[in-house]
Amino acid sequence: MSEPMGRGGAWTEERGTSDEGRHHLEAAQAASGKHGTSDEGRHRLEAPQRRAGDAAAAAELRRRIASQFGRSLHVRTLDTGSCAACEQEIRLLAAPHYDLHRLGFFFTPAPRHADLLLVTGPMLRAFAAAAGKTYDAMPAPKIVVATGACALGGVYQPDAFCYGSAGEVLPVDVWIPGCPPSPLALLHGLLVAVDRLAERVAGLSFTVGGTS
Amino acid sequence: MTTLKPATAGLLPAVVTRAGNAAGPVAVTEVAAAELDVVTAELAQHPGARLADLFATGADPVILRVVWALDRDQLYLVTETEVEGPRYPALSDIAPAAFAEECEIYEQFGIRPAGGKPLNRVAMPPQPDIKLPTLGHAPAEPPRDVHAPHLVGGQAFEFPFGPVRQVGVESLYYGLVTSGEELVDLYLFTWHKHRGVEWRAQGQTPRQALFHIERVEGLGAIGNSCAFAAAAEAALGLEPAPEALLTRAIALELERLYNHAAAIAALCQACGLAVGRAAAEIALEQLLRLNAAVLGHRYLFGVVEIGGARTAPDLGRLRAGLPAAYGELRRAGDALLSTNSLLDRLEATGTVTLEEARRLGLVGPVARASGIAADARADHPSGAYAALAPVVATQTAGDALARMRVMLAEAAESVRLIETLAADATGMPVGTAAKNGGPRSGLGWSESSRGESLAWVELDAAGRISRARLRPAAVRNWRGFDDACRSQNVFTDIPIIEASFWLTVAGTAR
Ligand code: SF4
Repeated sequence: MSEPMGRGGAWTEERGTSDEGRHHLEAAQAASGKHGTSDEGRHRLEAPQRRAGDAAAAAELRRRIASQFGRSLHVRTLDTGSCAACEQEIRLLAAPHYDLHRLGFFFTPAPRHADLLLVTGPMLRAFAAAAGKTYDAMPAPKIVVATGACALGGVYQPDAFCYGSAGEVLPVDVWIPGCPPSPLALLHGLLVAVDRLAERVAGLSFTVGGTS
Repeated sequence: MTTLKPATAGLLPAVVTRAGNAAGPVAVTEVAAAELDVVTAELAQHPGARLADLFATGADPVILRVVWALDRDQLYLVTETEVEGPRYPALSDIAPAAFAEECEIYEQFGIRPAGGKPLNRVAMPPQPDIKLPTLGHAPAEPPRDVHAPHLVGGQAFEFPFGPVRQVGVESLYYGLVTSGEELVDLYLFTWHKHRGVEWRAQGQTPRQALFHIERVEGLGAIGNSCAFAAAAEAALGLEPAPEALLTRAIALELERLYNHAAAIAALCQACGLAVGRAAAEIALEQLLRLNAAVLGHRYLFGVVEIGGARTAPDLGRLRAGLPAAYGELRRAGDALLSTNSLLDRLEATGTVTLEEARRLGLVGPVARASGIAADARADHPSGAYAALAPVVATQTAGDALARMRVMLAEAAESVRLIETLAADATGMPVGTAAKNGGPRSGLGWSESSRGESLAWVELDAAGRISRARLRPAAVRNWRGFDDACRSQNVFTDIPIIEASFWLTVAGTAR
């Protein structure tokens, strides 16, 4: 897991002007027993939510991401033969209507930084090797989210061209239906995935008491 | 569709005259294999003629079909040639636009153009353990893998990139040949996304096949399914109700609108313009929601049906929602066109010259930005477009900025067309036409948001597909992409050029 991308300036400004923020930061540091860089991320994740609408759900999600990862969850995407509509919906997650960054999710182009893999498409045989390599390049704990009817097995039968679903090649943890799944369905799926990943992190020995 | 007498050299004047005498928008003629090169050369010389597609059918003998778009004569001319044996005249020597199809035909049918030029890998994966079914005989030798020599003249080297790329983009494998910053050459590999849709369609009814045709390219679902449905209807002798044709045209223009908004969002993203991207994405999201409100699906899946349309537009919601959604796009577009940092970045980036666009048979906004006023809605009006006279927007610079200007102008025109179409529509669902006994083969087309989409359908006696050919616009325009990237560009221009072409890998690797 890596530093969250972007918005560094906003954070500096906040810390510079808000005493409350600093106390908060120290408290968080004491509670987690972590140091340095991770607290910066934590601080930002717990900054006041500026939008009203989905504040409760967002706060809960941020709390969960923050408590499990200290900072944020990084998402990587993998197209194994999609029709490009699923990709368009994934891109829209970052658009103003959805803005997944405010929830502590970030897109990353590097598998080494990724916690979660969004897989689209029916897993073409010609692509399976590349899919496996992308998965292997991600550090554990990691989670695979099959995205869209293709990846779930609802569009192509298994045949000479494709395995027919993502689960034939990768260990899928969460399935998001839809052709394509709307950005809201994707967000819902990411939420479910956070829980799964949290369980997995809790099972690892490097956390204190499982919930750091 | 008119079937003409077998044609020989000197064919064209007769054909065009006959078409001028209301022979209809499509004419089919046989050409002997020995004369194919002469006839092709003659057609290539005809003003406004484009080699729009080349494909094969069957085995022993293979039938080779060339689809010519005679844009000035409002005619599609299909030549049919029986090829005995493994070779046919090399058409790409006469019309370079045919080369990619020659490679494809070699992989799928095992026949090759005369002259022994190497044929590149298109859809067959290089992994020896993956054996894909072909549409005819398998090729005798595997196709060639394109590679630059590792060191090109001691100056440049090949830098493979992909297929897994940035977040939220399709898989695409680039072979970049570079001397450090400048792009010397560029190859694209898309075999890892080939889903064999034409193979899948065999043995299905057109109605069944439509499910995968729509999903060939989700961002072109309407463009491709309109072309395919039109081809199937020509083969079946079906005439969809005018109301259904209005629905299709409305859907096609809605698809164009959201695609152009998405392209502009992608352009801003590629240029690092966060505010512009957000503004375009607000428009895009509103347009997608409008699609869902009006026709039931954000990407307009499930609208087209063979012989008609499966849904009718909710005209009230269309009239209520369109001005606001398009208003967002226009505001974003106006602001972007006065943002100098963006204009500077787009100007002279990814230039496609008029000559290049002609040579490669490019279509859609890419061709129009280079000065070719080709638009199937105007040149080959069909369905509801016959009465519409759409205004074709063109530019001459051929760079990324010209393509953006074309897209913005087209979006405005689409809104005008939708308003005209909606005034004629009733919003009442209509049944699909039912009448069997057509000629059992047919050509269909539409002007999708990326340009002309073509389809050819052949049916057996039981009404099942014996050959379905789908040629989305992306198949054509990717071959202009390498040229656009090569001309005086550096690495960081590639994402901008890709966004300005706004193609899909799925559309070409169908
Ligand atoms: S699930 Fe549907 S939208 Fe997504 S890639 Fe497959 S066909 Fe396209």
